[in-house]
Amino acid sequence: MEQLPLTLIFLFTLFFLLGSGVWVGLSLLGVALVGMELFTNRPAGDAMITTIWTASSSWALTALPLFIWMGEILYRTRLSEDMFRGLAPWMAPLPGRLLHTNVVGCTIFAAVSGSSAATLTTVGKMSIPELRSRGYPERMIIGTLAGSATLGLMIPPSLTLIVYGVTINESISKLFIAGVFPGLTLAALFMGYVVWWSFVHKDEVPPPEPKMTLWFRISEARFLIPVVCLVIFVIGSMYMGLATPTEAASIGVIGAMILAALQGSLNFETFKQSLLGATRTSCMIALILAGAAFLSLSMGFTGLPRALAAWIDSMQLSPYTLIFALTIFYIIIGCFLDGISSVVLTMAVVEPMIRTAGIDVIWFGIFIVVVVEMAQITPPIGFNLFVLQGMTNHQMAYIARCAMPLFFLMCVMVVILVVFPELATWLPDNMRTRPPG
Amino acid sequence: MSALRSLGRSLRPVLDAVYNVCGYIAACFLLVILLIIVVQMISRWILDFAGLVRSVAGDGAADWVLDNMTYQFIGSTNYAGYCMAAASFFAMAYALNNGAHIRVNLVLTRLTGLSRRIGDIWCFSIGAFFAGFFAWYAIRAVYWSHKLHDVSQGQDATPIWIPQLSMAFGTTILAIALVDHLIRVIFVGETDLSAERVGETKSE
Repeated sequence: MEQLPLTLIFLFTLFFLLGSGVWVGLSLLGVALVGMELFTNRPAGDAMITTIWTASSSWALTALPLFIWMGEILYRTRLSEDMFRGLAPWMAPLPGRLLHTNVVGCTIFAAVSGSSAATLTTVGKMSIPELRSRGYPERMIIGTLAGSATLGLMIPPSLTLIVYGVTINESISKLFIAGVFPGLTLAALFMGYVVWWSFVHKDEVPPPEPKMTLWFRISEARFLIPVVCLVIFVIGSMYMGLATPTEAASIGVIGAMILAALQGSLNFETFKQSLLGATRTSCMIALILAGAAFLSLSMGFTGLPRALAAWIDSMQLSPYTLIFALTIFYIIIGCFLDGISSVVLTMAVVEPMIRTAGIDVIWFGIFIVVVVEMAQITPPIGFNLFVLQGMTNHQMAYIARCAMPLFFLMCVMVVILVVFPELATWLPDNMRTRPPG
Repeated sequence: MSALRSLGRSLRPVLDAVYNVCGYIAACFLLVILLIIVVQMISRWILDFAGLVRSVAGDGAADWVLDNMTYQFIGSTNYAGYCMAAASFFAMAYALNNGAHIRVNLVLTRLTGLSRRIGDIWCFSIGAFFAGFFAWYAIRAVYWSHKLHDVSQGQDATPIWIPQLSMAFGTTILAIALVDHLIRVIFVGETDLSAERVGETKSE
């Protein structure tokens, strides 16, 4: 690399802008601009507008606000109360008892919303006080909640996967479907942990719940069942090739509105709030994507991605070593950046690398999501830790300690993904696809 | 100085209203995306339905369905894309004021007093600079697209300057909002990104 000093200036600008607190989207845009000025004679501004316009007005992106909106609508219903009441009778007989409501509740809400903070608040709002009053140990309540909420990133619809798919031009349907089994496996691992805990710490498990009839269980879950059906329908329609992700998302929005209306929680105010909430979140992501699109153009001119890919190639690393190195890399990045930013920021460099190494990009999408999920529960910037701090008034370090075992389970998940890549690739390879449009 | 201050005071409600109205406009575009997709989906279902009718009731009935019930929404994907861009760009300033745009405030939140103020000034001025640059080129793009009669490559054949207006307008408002915050940080000492609570950022 003969342009080493320029490359260093470029990277320094990147870290300085991001680190000093300039908004992520604008930082990426600014760094890209610096890169264009340093490495080419092309008119930077016009190249910027062409790239950003193409990226921002893409059809594939429209799934993003709609899925966010669907989650926002259901977030404003009484789903939180119903979730706990509906799940508790079913979970009570399992070893570890009601702690499973955290895991299963998060799994269900993860399939409604692509956001892990929303998953955390919705499930936690009800389950924290209920579990506390029944005498479950605090560290287990908080740990399982913090860990399971990260499923929001993996189980479709996942905002991170939409962003990943748009960034590297891969099918979002395939990515979504690929996330199903790994997401469920992770949930199973978490439930296994709760079971294991209940056997080791028999004395800490509170007394069993009173027995309930089957009919009572079903009637308690009467609000939950339609939500689960909606989720299965939305994901299923993508799997069967009946709908594109955008169409599935709009079915989801309409379904969510019908459910909210049936529950009596749909009025003009909640409608407006959910729509505005979706507008804000999707705008935030759109700004990051706009900056990232320009950055990847600019990165191309720096020659950095090609040089790195060639370098990695020349080292003759096995894919396992590369994946191991990338895991460490993303965990470190994840300590400072949120998941979506770290994905878009790195893909320009990492994509040629993994393509050269012959790694399946759909599989890599799932891998990257597991790794940025881990970052959600590691200090100093784990979003789930912040949210839980606000909800429980515990110290951040305490919450991080509670979530530690689940962090290790996620590491186990990465190993499982590496050893059994079919877990992620089998479903998408066998789905029916419909040409976009 | 006092004249400036009173100008600032009288401008305040106007600017805030502009930011909010732009947010509402963005929300409307989101609603339009939903409508476009629903219409497109229904029209596709009717085509499938016509195929079904053909196999059940013969060609005559199927042609009747095709003639009378179908509506081809040409270029719907392009229109949905334009609405996506409009929804994103119009909401930029609104999202900023609500603290929705994420940033790494690990360092910034640890600062207090004067150093915090300097940090804020740095962020807002560099942000305003980039947003202003973006806005300037977005406006230029609209001008040139209009002048050169640029037409969309898709089936919709829209003159491209019309959807690009949203980008020019939205980024300009964003730049104005950032300058607005910068001025407040410099002269009033603090500014109100009140909703900016790290943990509440529902980005993930």
